[in-house]
Amino acid sequence: MGDEPVIVVGVKQVPDDDEVRIDPDTGHLDRASAPAVMNPPDRNALEAALGLRDDAGGTVVAVTMGPPTATDVLEEAVAIGCDDAALITDRAFAGSDTWPTSLTLAAAAESLGADVFVCGEETTDSSTGQVPPGIAAHLGWAQLTYAEELDPEFDDETLVARRDVEGGHEVVAAELPVVVAVAYGEFEPRPAGLHRKLYAESEFEPIELSAEDIGLDDDEVGIDASPTEVGGMETVEPVERERVVVEGVDELADELAETEVFG
Amino acid sequence: MSPDDADGANDEPVDDGTVDTDAYSDVWVFVEEHDGDVMTVSWELLAEARGLADDLGEDLVALVIGEDVDDVAGEAIERGADRALVADDPVFEPYRADPYGEQFRALVEERRPAIVLIGGTHTGRDFAGRVAVPAHAGLTADCTELGVDDDGLLEARRPAFGGNVLATIVCADHRPQMATVRPGVFAAAAPDPDRAGAVEQVDVVVDEADTVTEVRERVVGDTADITEADRIVAAGGGCNGDLSPVEALADALDADLAASRKAVDEGWVDGSRQVGQTGKTVRPDLYVAVGISGAVQHVEGMNDSDVVVAINDDPNAPIFDHADYGIVGDLFEVCPALAERVRDGEALAGSEADIEPEAQR
Repeated sequence: MGDEPVIVVGVKQVPDDDEVRIDPDTGHLDRASAPAVMNPPDRNALEAALGLRDDAGGTVVAVTMGPPTATDVLEEAVAIGCDDAALITDRAFAGSDTWPTSLTLAAAAESLGADVFVCGEETTDSSTGQVPPGIAAHLGWAQLTYAEELDPEFDDETLVARRDVEGGHEVVAAELPVVVAVAYGEFEPRPAGLHRKLYAESEFEPIELSAEDIGLDDDEVGIDASPTEVGGMETVEPVERERVVVEGVDELADELAETEVFG
Repeated sequence: MSPDDADGANDEPVDDGTVDTDAYSDVWVFVEEHDGDVMTVSWELLAEARGLADDLGEDLVALVIGEDVDDVAGEAIERGADRALVADDPVFEPYRADPYGEQFRALVEERRPAIVLIGGTHTGRDFAGRVAVPAHAGLTADCTELGVDDDGLLEARRPAFGGNVLATIVCADHRPQMATVRPGVFAAAAPDPDRAGAVEQVDVVVDEADTVTEVRERVVGDTADITEADRIVAAGGGCNGDLSPVEALADALDADLAASRKAVDEGWVDGSRQVGQTGKTVRPDLYVAVGISGAVQHVEGMNDSDVVVAINDDPNAPIFDHADYGIVGDLFEVCPALAERVRDGEALAGSEADIEPEAQR
């Protein structure tokens, strides 16, 4: 770690789940028409990163991998308080699954000199949660997933996290550098300040980095470097339910008494 | 073979898309244990993987990493594994991603499994995401169906787009083919004490001095297994942090408590009780959704329930479309009233005696 810690926070632009409509022709969800928003778990990651800066100083740099339109989420991150932001963009990234995505973000973390890379738990558009451990694996760094609390012991080159595990929690100390995935819903995000918001919308321009800029060859990323492929899609038939709305608990009890549950 | 390969360099996994897929065989299941306690999902995977291994004509191998885990390995054999690979060392207890990842990487390079299945717990997802990278494996997240196609390729199916669509993910050119699997989807394999299989201790390649993490504290209490419950009462965001009405109803119904993601994220209910896409799949006789709006991600985890009851004060809540019986009302009034009615009503209390003839029809 240098004199001041560099905290990189990953954010992603995703379709707004609340606005996704069903395509009447195909019956599939029409995600293309939904407005793009910041992946909600990334708001918790932003807060965790800014909290580390509050405690230990340093700088927070937001990073996203996506098309130029993804600059919107970087502006939002800067408005909330990030010192700077980087757009990792290249046609070579198209079709990346989680393997090259985590490779790309790992290379970006190195280029930006990250000591800590904070991510959200998962993205709402694919829900794998694979990218944070993937970044750590590519870099050979420690990883702290499902983090509920963070305690920087940067003088000892250590970050301590309380992790949510099945049925309880654990406290894990990791040597820097480290990748953190913040438990969704923890780290209540702070609001954007007015001046910062104006700056983000008017003056701010993100750093723009291509695959080459972060030291990656085109064939290391994108669809060719992605081990998985979608082999097919089937629409799931909805489960038929009675859909009876009853007037009160007595009627409900009568209905239930006739089911096999209580038969 | 080129001269360069003569020194054993051909044992390294190839990372240029030209993996010799025929060199990989067998189905591995990562048996997740903490201090000797095995997560139920691992036994569920053994049951499902038994079928895959039989379809492929290959071995089902239990991978057990931990400290003093011979009993776990033995139980894995009893529950369907042909063999067990055991990496037994204090460095592996409690779980940490970095030593587990390094051990797994070495094992995959040496043994070359075709398929590796891992439970979709926090630990399983932490592990899978880490180990898939050095192997350049294809990793599918939180599958709900598994199969093999005519070419022996793993077909890992997972709900996509919030559950309205089932996507099949394949990994044609890379090995191993890895998947995490959502807990509760498959029935756990029952132990058969007569089953025999080899338990092999493998070389431990990790030294404590090389680790970069230290577990300072581990507190685990409630590891409820809601996947086996016959009756479930589930709390959602409508509870506003007060679970007492839900707990009272669960108590009256002799049901297990579960929760939507919202209630878990708010910290009201432990994550081991979460139902849905990033939680567990449940299939009780009775599922009562209390104050749950009914997002597709939640519905998907409870759709196999026999009878679904919804209690919500919003008549337009989507949960009513996925329920057999719904009550539009304030859960803080409906739950206590229903709990009382259940206690009073012998038919609902499960008593078989003295049921009024009317109630039997």
